Order: sequence, then C-alpha cells, then structure tokens
Amino acid sequence: MYITDLRAISPQATFDAGGLQDHPTSHSGNKYNAQEPDYAGLIAPILLRRMGKSIRMGIGAGLPLIQNQRNIDAIIIGSSEGGLEDCIKFLNQIVLYKEGTLTPTNFVQSTPNALAGSLALMSRNTCYNITHVHKGNAFENALIDAMLLFEEGKADTILAGNVEEISDYNFNIETLAGQFKVEDSTSENLLESGTPGTVCGEGASMFILKDKADDYLARIVDVAQISYPTEEEILGLIMDTLKKNNLRPEDIDTLILGKSGDSHTDVWYTAVNRKLFQEQSIFTFKDLVGEYPTSIAFATYLAACLISGRNIGWKLILPPKPIKHILIYNHYKGVQHGLILMSI
Amino acid sequence: MTKNIYITGFGCISPIGLNADENLRSLRSGQDGIGRSLNLQSRYSELKLFGEVKADTNSLGAPIYFHQIPGLTRTDLLAFTAFNEAIQHSKLTPEEISSHDTAFISASTVGGMCLTDELYADANFLSAGSEFVHSYSGAAHTLQIAKFFGMKGFTNTINTACSSSSNAIMMGMRLIRSGRFKRAIVGGAESMAKYTINGFNSLQILSENKCKPFDIHRDGLNLGEGSAYVVLESEEVCSHKPHLGRIIGAGNSNDTFHPSSLSENAVGVTKCMELALMDAHILPSDINYINAHGTGTQNNDQTELVGFANIFPVIPPFSSTKSYTGHTLGASGALEAIYCIFSLIHNELYPNLHTVDPVPGYCESLITHFTPEVKLDCVMSNSYGFGGNCTSLLFAKS
Repeated sequence: MYITDLRAISPQATFDAGGLQDHPTSHSGNKYNAQEPDYAGLIAPILLRRMGKSIRMGIGAGLPLIQNQRNIDAIIIGSSEGGLEDCIKFLNQIVLYKEGTLTPTNFVQSTPNALAGSLALMSRNTCYNITHVHKGNAFENALIDAMLLFEEGKADTILAGNVEEISDYNFNIETLAGQFKVEDSTSENLLESGTPGTVCGEGASMFILKDKADDYLARIVDVAQISYPTEEEILGLIMDTLKKNNLRPEDIDTLILGKSGDSHTDVWYTAVNRKLFQEQSIFTFKDLVGEYPTSIAFATYLAACLISGRNIGWKLILPPKPIKHILIYNHYKGVQHGLILMSI
Repeated sequence: MTKNIYITGFGCISPIGLNADENLRSLRSGQDGIGRSLNLQSRYSELKLFGEVKADTNSLGAPIYFHQIPGLTRTDLLAFTAFNEAIQHSKLTPEEISSHDTAFISASTVGGMCLTDELYADANFLSAGSEFVHSYSGAAHTLQIAKFFGMKGFTNTINTACSSSSNAIMMGMRLIRSGRFKRAIVGGAESMAKYTINGFNSLQILSENKCKPFDIHRDGLNLGEGSAYVVLESEEVCSHKPHLGRIIGAGNSNDTFHPSSLSENAVGVTKCMELALMDAHILPSDINYINAHGTGTQNNDQTELVGFANIFPVIPPFSSTKSYTGHTLGASGALEAIYCIFSLIHNELYPNLHTVDPVPGYCESLITHFTPEVKLDCVMSNSYGFGGNCTSLLFAKS
C-alpha cells in the first residue's frame, strides 16, 4: 500500500512543514513534550477547550488529511492508552468527590476510541472505524488492518495513524516501573548513555494510505509483529519477511532502529544490526521523539520523508547512496517487536 | 470462493455461569444473574444492580495462582478462565496454540483499570509502586495469555468501547479469510470497576432495577462483567472436528452523531447491518433471529428498533440477552456470539427477560419466552459502542 499524504505532531517541529531548521530540536530530561500547533481554524475554540491532548493532537494531524481527500473508506487508529489525562482526571474526581455526582466529559474522552470516533464525527464519515490498543504493537496492527481492507476490495483510501500522550498517569506509573532514566540526559547523549531506562515521548502521526497510486511518497511493503520472542525468532521473522517480499538483507540500504538508550533492551537492536545488517545506513528516532508504545508510527513518518525527500522540519543528513528499501525494527520494553518494510 | 470459517470451540464466564454449560442452563431456565454486587468496593454496590460473576477474585485465580505470575487482575483471571475453556473445547494442542498460524485477538474496555484504587495510588505517586504497575493497560490481559501459552502468531487487542469483542471476532474472521492465519482465538474480557461504574453513573444510565430492554418503561442498564472466547478455524484445519457453527459475515460503521449516544435515525446501526449482509452475500429475509445490543437505555433501544425497521420489511424474532447478564461491555460481543451459537446448535431462542410493556409497533417479534424447536439457519448479533462504533456479526449453521 502507498502513503500519499502524511502529517505528524511530535516533539519535533514536524507540523509546520514550511519551516526548515538546521538541526532537530534538542530535548533534555525525561519528558519529550510535543510541539503542538495553533489549532485555530482547524478545531472550533469551544470544542478545543474540552479536548484532551491526545484527541487534540490526533484531530490536528488527522482531520486536515481527511479534508484533503474526496473520500475516506476507513479510519484506523493505533493507540495503547488513548486519553490518559482525561482518565486520571476522572479517576481523581472519583476519589476526591467520594463517588459523588461527576461530569461525564472526562470519562467519555478517556476511552481510547474517542479519537477515531471524533475524527468520524467531525468529518461525517460513517465508514469502518477501529481502534487497536495492543500496546507496543497497536500501530503495526492498524497497518495490518488497512492491508486487509485493501485486499478485501473494501477500501481505496484509508486514514491510519497513532496517538499517545504524556500524562501524569503513565509518567508516574512508568516511573514506578523503572521505565525512565534516573540521571539527566539530553537528545544528544540519550542513545549512548549505557544506563538503564529511557525517556517519555508523545505524538500523533497520521497517514493517507491508498491501494493504488501513481503519485505517492513511499510504499509500505509489509508489516510483521511478534511478542515475547527469542533472539533467534526475531532474526527468523526478519529473514522470513524479507524473503516473502523477494528481498535479501543486502537489498535493505537503510535501517531505522528503535534504540531508546535503555541499556537493558537496546541489546536487541545491537544483535539485529550485527547479525544481519552491517553495511546499512542507520537512523534512530527515539532521540528525537522519546519512547512510547506506538512510537513506530513516527519511524514510519521518518521513513516516508527519507524516501520521498519531503521536508520533515530540519535538514536530514541523507546517506550517500539513494534509498530504495528501508526496514524499521522496533520493540517496546523487549516484549512486543514490530517490523515495517518500506520501499520507494 | 471464500472458504468456510467454522467455530470449533468456545468458553465463557458470565453472571449466569462460570462456564459455557452453566450459561446454557441459565439461558434455558430464564435465570438472570443480576443483583447487588458482593465483590465491588463502591458506594454504588448497594444502590444499583449489577451483573456480577459469582466468584471472588481469589477463587477465580486458584487454577492459575500457583504459576506465580505477578500482577494478575480480575480482568486477566476472567480472560484466562474463558480462554482455557475455549481451547479445551476445541481440543487445540499446545503446538496449535503457539503456532505462527494462530492469531489471538482480544478486547477490553477497562482492562486492568478494574483496580481503581491501586491505580489511583500508583498514578499519583502515593505508593512505592504496586505489583500491578504493568497490569493496567487494555492489552495487559492479552499479553499475559500470549506469554503463558507461548503464542508466536499475531496478537492484538481492540478497544472500541462496547463493540470491542465483536470487532475482535470480525478481525479474526478477516485474518483467516486473507489466508494469513489458519485459526483465530477471538473474544474479550471485562471486569466491573469503580471507574466504569462512576462513568456510566455520570451519564445517568445505570438502573436501580433489573434492566428491561425494549420496554417502554425501561430505565437504564445494569453493568456486568465476564469473558468469552471463540475458536475460529479455516475449513482445511478442522475437518476432523465437530463444527459448531460458521461465521459468515461482519460489518462495522460509525454513527457520526455523538460521543456517547446514538442517532435518532440509526445511521450507524443500519449501515453496520447492511454491510454485514453484503459481506455474507445474504438478504435480510435470510435472518432468523437477532441478538440485539439492547442495553435497556431509552436511547439505545429506540435507535436499534429504528435500525431494524430500516433494514427488515418484517423484523425477525429478536431479544437482548443483556437482560440475563447486564452489559458486560468489552466482553458482550463475544458472550452474545456464543449465545447465538447455542441457538444455532440447539434450535432454540432465549428470551428478553423482565420486559412487560414492549415498545408498540416494533416488538411483535420480541422473544419473551424460551422458545425451543425453531428452525434457524442464520442469526445476527449486534453491538454498539461509545464513539459511534457499530458492529454486526452473522453466524450460520455448519
């Protein structure tokens, strides 16, 4: 399937595609917050005031893409948690008011399918509408769902994307679970830190996918995922995925790896790199946008910009050889692993 | 030519039974599972009526606790119980369960947030970190099961609110049709939680009485809990097994009306049924029974009836089995799918309980008594959720 249009709201200046900085924005500490655009003109102020951040970012990135299409046959979102800020607001109200009379807004917005529902509502789109919440594989599963719809002949054009927000809820819980760095780090030294833990990111990346397209930015050739694998199984899954698409490891010229700076789990990337891909140009993205369950959606955005030459917001340093095939390999906490194979 | 996709096993735990046989007995005898809550620590436990699974969390955990898996929630335990029954019913081998050819798609709305108080403490840094810090998300139960059974195929969790497990079933069917997988274990799990109860209470749709779907005096829903899984298999891998039924089609649509209520003219409800019928290449007149969403709220039931009238020149027999179980949210689509399969296997229909004054003009075919010896070839099961999500599934005799 083909990516013909895309938009991202991220901790980088990805949204205002007019600008071009020399370098990506540097972040420090454990929270890489999104650079949100001015939503005026896109979302009515009365609606905007009531929207949680995840819905706001998802609408901000997704709605303009829908509006630029004549017709959309499906809206498919991958999001591990949806509106967490609304969730904790409602949770705190339950405790604070001792289960008294509460207002439902936060509750209704906290359901992870509130974004897909709002995109449908705001664009009057009655078509297939699904939210995959499978944590570290939620975005991969959204793409697989889109591939199925195209194969079934039930769609020509699909909006697919992700959203995840930093909230007190997930940041505190993940801190207790040991997910983040104890020491200070910056974008520049995160990946070489050699210490446990990573940093928390957020964002929404949205894509217009088409079954057939003459004019497109990049092609998504295949998507695969696996949970709780051994190293052998990951290497096997990569080889099988390449073989299925008549490719060998040496045909891949560019790798995008989900290195997060966590010394415990970055070993997966080292193994894949060392054992299968030694000559390839390598890009990383969690030094740009932080770690979150559906961050592979941003890697897909980066890959599409690398392949198409589209302005990502800063000057990308391209490899000397032209890019033909990109393999994205990412995992979340070493548990859920995903592959996305992209081509020109 | 599309291959047949057979149901070769199922398992469920609900307010009307701790396994599938107990559920069937209750359905036949008209015994609902709605009452006060015994397990829930909430001020509403005594004020509202609920469809609670009649087992405390410790006894649910007994078969699994000795494996010493940390952080198991009530949602996880309900899921394990139904999943285990389903794989045993289908006689799947450990190799088949862990195979790359097997997909596992589950669903939940509350997930591990059933532990509302632990969550509050962890999320507000009021604890040093409970054993549940990895347990809260919607996908936690799916990952626990995938890990326990060493599942190496596709795994997924869907949350489209109250239609979640119907969409899990739909995706399982599509994955098998595509040829990517030979079988799919599909369903969902939901446990009652202070979080959801307060949410539905804030929307003022929780009833203090046993819900009475499609009654003119209906006054809201009873929240419920449970879990249900169905094993779907492609015909080439299940020729040696009993075929319990087939899944023949599904449709999903968005109502595009409101985040938490349905449109008067039933846009999404109508379209999802239309799409399911087209998907299965059958006509409205082929449908012999509808397991309605039928929550018992004014808005839902009225819209659903308008949707039926939009599609069916003559509305087929229908009932809402939520009058037995309450609304089990993320588990309801899968649970009601199993009830539909019971109907197909045994040629009988289970009634809509507690309804005294059916909505006039629509309810001539509302089933209000257990009805054995009916001719059934094809049945429909509908689920609608927040965010306008509407799903219709179609099952047929083998």
